Amino acid sequence: MRTLQLILLTTLLTVMHGLAADAPRPLNFANDIVPILTKGSCNSGGCHGKASGQNGFKLSLLGFEPQEDYEHIVKEARGRRVFPAAPEQSLLLTKGTAQVPHGGGKKLDPKSEEYQDLIRWINEGMPYGSDSDPKMVSISVEPPVMTLPLKGSQQLKVTAHYSDGSTRDVTRRALYEANEKAMAETSETGHVQLFDLPGDVAVMVRYQGKVATFRATIPLGAPVDKLPPVRNYIDDLVNAKLKTIGMPPSDLADDSTFLRRVTLDITGRLPTAAELKDFLAVQDPQKRSAKIDALLDSPEYAEFFANKWSALLRNQRTQPTYARGSYLFWQWIRDSIADNKPYDHFVREVVAASGDLDQHPPVAWYRQVKDMKQQMEDVAQLFLGTRMQCAQCHHHPFEKWSQQDYYSFAAFFSTVSRKASGQKDEELIFHKRGTATATNIRTKANVVPASLGGEPLKLKPEQDPRLQLTEWMSRQDNPFFAHTLVNRYWKHFFNRGLVEPEDDMRETNPPVNPELLNALAADFTKSGYDMKHLIRTIVNSSTYQLSAVPNAFNARDRQNFSRYYPKRLNAEVLYDAVNRLLDVETNFAGQAPGTRAVALPDNSYNQSNYFLTVFGRPDSSSACECERTQEASLAQSLHLLNAADIQTQLARGNGRADVLTKDPRPDDDKITDLYHIALSRDPNAAEVKFATAHIDKKTNGKKDQEAFTAKKEAFEDILWALLNTKEFLFNH
Amino acid sequence: MLSIQGSTRSGFCDGQTRRDFLKIGGLAMGGLSLPDLLRVEASQGSATKHKAVIMVFLPGGPSHQDIFDLKPDAPSEIRGEFKPISTNVAGIQICEQLPRLAQMADKYTLIRSMADCEPGHDAFQCLTGRSAKRQPPGGWPSFGSIVSKIKGSANPAMPPFVGLSPKMGHMEWARNGDPGYLGVSHAPFQPNRGGGTDDMSLNGVSLDRLHDRAGLLEGFDQMRRELDASGLMSGIDSFNEQAIGVLTSPKLLHALDLSREDPRIVSRYGKGENKNRDDGGPRHTDHFLAARRLVEAGARVVTLGFSRWDYHSDNFKQLREDLPLLDSALSALITDLHERGMDKDVAVVVWGEFGRTPIINAKGGRDHWPRVSCAMLAGGNMRHGQVIGSTDKIAAEPADRPVAFGEVFATLYNHLGIDVNKVTLNDHSGRPQYLIEGGHQPLPELV
Repeated sequence: MRTLQLILLTTLLTVMHGLAADAPRPLNFANDIVPILTKGSCNSGGCHGKASGQNGFKLSLLGFEPQEDYEHIVKEARGRRVFPAAPEQSLLLTKGTAQVPHGGGKKLDPKSEEYQDLIRWINEGMPYGSDSDPKMVSISVEPPVMTLPLKGSQQLKVTAHYSDGSTRDVTRRALYEANEKAMAETSETGHVQLFDLPGDVAVMVRYQGKVATFRATIPLGAPVDKLPPVRNYIDDLVNAKLKTIGMPPSDLADDSTFLRRVTLDITGRLPTAAELKDFLAVQDPQKRSAKIDALLDSPEYAEFFANKWSALLRNQRTQPTYARGSYLFWQWIRDSIADNKPYDHFVREVVAASGDLDQHPPVAWYRQVKDMKQQMEDVAQLFLGTRMQCAQCHHHPFEKWSQQDYYSFAAFFSTVSRKASGQKDEELIFHKRGTATATNIRTKANVVPASLGGEPLKLKPEQDPRLQLTEWMSRQDNPFFAHTLVNRYWKHFFNRGLVEPEDDMRETNPPVNPELLNALAADFTKSGYDMKHLIRTIVNSSTYQLSAVPNAFNARDRQNFSRYYPKRLNAEVLYDAVNRLLDVETNFAGQAPGTRAVALPDNSYNQSNYFLTVFGRPDSSSACECERTQEASLAQSLHLLNAADIQTQLARGNGRADVLTKDPRPDDDKITDLYHIALSRDPNAAEVKFATAHIDKKTNGKKDQEAFTAKKEAFEDILWALLNTKEFLFNH
Repeated sequence: MLSIQGSTRSGFCDGQTRRDFLKIGGLAMGGLSLPDLLRVEASQGSATKHKAVIMVFLPGGPSHQDIFDLKPDAPSEIRGEFKPISTNVAGIQICEQLPRLAQMADKYTLIRSMADCEPGHDAFQCLTGRSAKRQPPGGWPSFGSIVSKIKGSANPAMPPFVGLSPKMGHMEWARNGDPGYLGVSHAPFQPNRGGGTDDMSLNGVSLDRLHDRAGLLEGFDQMRRELDASGLMSGIDSFNEQAIGVLTSPKLLHALDLSREDPRIVSRYGKGENKNRDDGGPRHTDHFLAARRLVEAGARVVTLGFSRWDYHSDNFKQLREDLPLLDSALSALITDLHERGMDKDVAVVVWGEFGRTPIINAKGGRDHWPRVSCAMLAGGNMRHGQVIGSTDKIAAEPADRPVAFGEVFATLYNHLGIDVNKVTLNDHSGRPQYLIEGGHQPLPELV
């Protein structure tokens, strides 16, 4: 603790020293004045920074356009905003200090250094600065990485670096934000206070469009002497992390738990009672790997993952006439996954899709994603983990992307053209010969395609720019492509991405285990973008096979993968599971009887199926997995506890309860069966006793038909209770 | 985990602890972390009773100049058949077809200059305050969904957001408020739409058997909540408890069951019919009463659509049928809120998607006119008995104080203690979105 205080003190002294060392020099509007407005959140999106300004005074969002701000401050409002004859009478200052009524309240202290700088700037005649003034090129934060104790704290120091080689301490004027607010909070002056959660937390530091990140590792410091066996590099890297932070992992999950977990995660269905029996009987130590291979080779794997991709690729049936296309596209996705088509091919065939639906079903993506900007935004978010939306109207606040980057990237789609093809509401998609270009709405300049962070491309009119794009995306050294996919799939299996949200992978939102993310991406690239290889690697790891049951140390762990994090079955999977438990054959319009909800081709079934709607089956209306809502709700509870459908199926003649009642075997055996079907495990003695006691209580003193009815009702109750247990509702 | 609660269990407004609220609300709030929640709460001040909003949508675009903004001095092809009558507030006149409302103008405010109407036949703007045209990933959430997200349930046996509109021929009018990027958990309960309605009363199981089953479930449900650090498991437990509450103490069903209401009060609301008017909404005055009962039972936002106001022909004949019903239903609702001491806690807004053309067409109708329309606000502890804004001589353009939908929504959020300058919710691209577009603030005339 003493060392910490010492560090703190030294840092503070450095900060103060840095400020004192600034000799008076001519003020530059962009370098010196705008940061004051940003720090005071004058130019935030809720205030003067929004497109319409506030009460007639508009600033560019977060000060990204100093030239415009200068015009607005110095030249508008008949010059009342700045008043060189009496600087302190300037509206900018009287409003900012709330000496006259100001909707935003007091943002500026007349005693502050910021206030003095503004006075000086107005006194000096409001210089904008000259072109030869140094420009800020980057910021850095000290320290960049730290290991800190629980509840520890750290003062950060932020330095701006200018084009002439000079530096300046900007700690006071930078903005700070922690990515895990449950783990740390930051003060306006760059002081980071940790809470009592172990793990990794990052603090994003922003200053005038430049960003830097501080990362703290907060060990728990418990002894880690028992680690699960290392099956592949995932375990090496996860174990290393667990040792660093001193968090012992849970034990390995038993065979029943593993079988239920992996079957649900790969195929979206429960294992059957027969599968469970067979799996438990096999003695081979390799049986888990063998099971994984078998599941990956099943058609159900392709269906389940087609369901995932179909939603992200917006495979919607918004018109009845879209049915043919949405089915063809879904089929193409499913077949691609079944064939284990390399991911780069899969993506290329979507992004650079040409032709009509019969020639090439992925053109359906262009039917749903119509506009060049949307196409670009979807591709950036879905395949590159980069959210470009902000940069359409202004510089991205947390990223390096500018409007120039946005429109240059969009220009890849500028030659996509469409014409009617044979059938109603179907189109032929093609590259229209010509120069690919898009207009930057700010500069009004036409820009040619450029990849993210890349140089503008010179393309011939006959070249389809989308092929250049996909070529760049799948290059071995592309920093986004493989990382995004492995992170997305990691989240599928672990319920938490190495980066969260999984499609927001920016410098200021670092992964919880960067070495692991890099290793997964490198392995995926090296494998030739082999999706099954990736899944096999993940689910064969001991990390994936850990129990969800916490030990004395890791109950609150949500990011180090020291145990398996339970996840609720999604809408389709739960629907299928309930039907399985109640022995109901599903029936969807136009689909073969028994078609799983997981295998539905598009979103159109949500309308007619309240269960799917209320549990949040996505409508395939965005490229974000977040469209699938994970929240619980009252409507969901009411439905599972009381839906008429479910009651009818429970009570139906020849339904599960009826059949069990007629079954002459002892009740204990039947309860065991139900546990196998619902929870994929044997019940323990207490559970059997509890269930049979219910049957006995209901049937007590009854005879014949009355006894039969009572017993059937008892089984209905037991089924009802099982399907409402969290053990049933969750994959764990 | 799962306990049956008796029907006497008290709600949040009268005795439930703050901890309970956090437990239940914490999940309903989803993305909001505890500090966010505290921040939101801090900006609300403390409230002992829950505040609520009833939103009445008049599908089709009611003719502003025949209802609340008459122009008796305009030429006959403009002024139409109705005469203005004086109200109990000096200087305020409304249509002669609204005699009851005329006697209580001190209890509401008319806005005659709604200036930024969208041109389409759609309830969207009246439910979100926004244009349906440019939507962020996931779509704009409606007012009720946002309130559901931020405030959660006010009473454990009541959903926070209820929409009474049934399906209509023109479905854009039938919206009750979509949850947009907030997800289905914040969709309205729609008791007149099938689906979840049937789940609200016990289906083929007696109350005793439900008790039995709940006991059985508790015995089987041995998985430790601690397994899930995300809070989802305990969230499901909370909602299950709430669901059992709905089933055993059917506050929600009782609120919708008007036979439990004093018949004299029911009759005040007028005699409408539970039948859609063409492709529009039902002329169902009962919905106004149901809205009041739902709010009383704990709902925070109730939406309803009333009749169909798209009178391209026979404007006056049709208004003669609809206005008296609107007059009785709305005046009864306002009277009720006052008599029950709910007028400070419950705000009511009444409006349509746009106004209608100044000149009466050859078929005696008026056509679409998004240049201006009108709105009524009542209750909500606002300064009433006034008119905000005005139109020109022929009710064609706002003449002064043009009012944006955003200002009305800001006023309603303000009523619920939600600061539109501070609260943001993330859309599907992760972008924090303010609740109001264009930085609009609560109407200074009212707050």
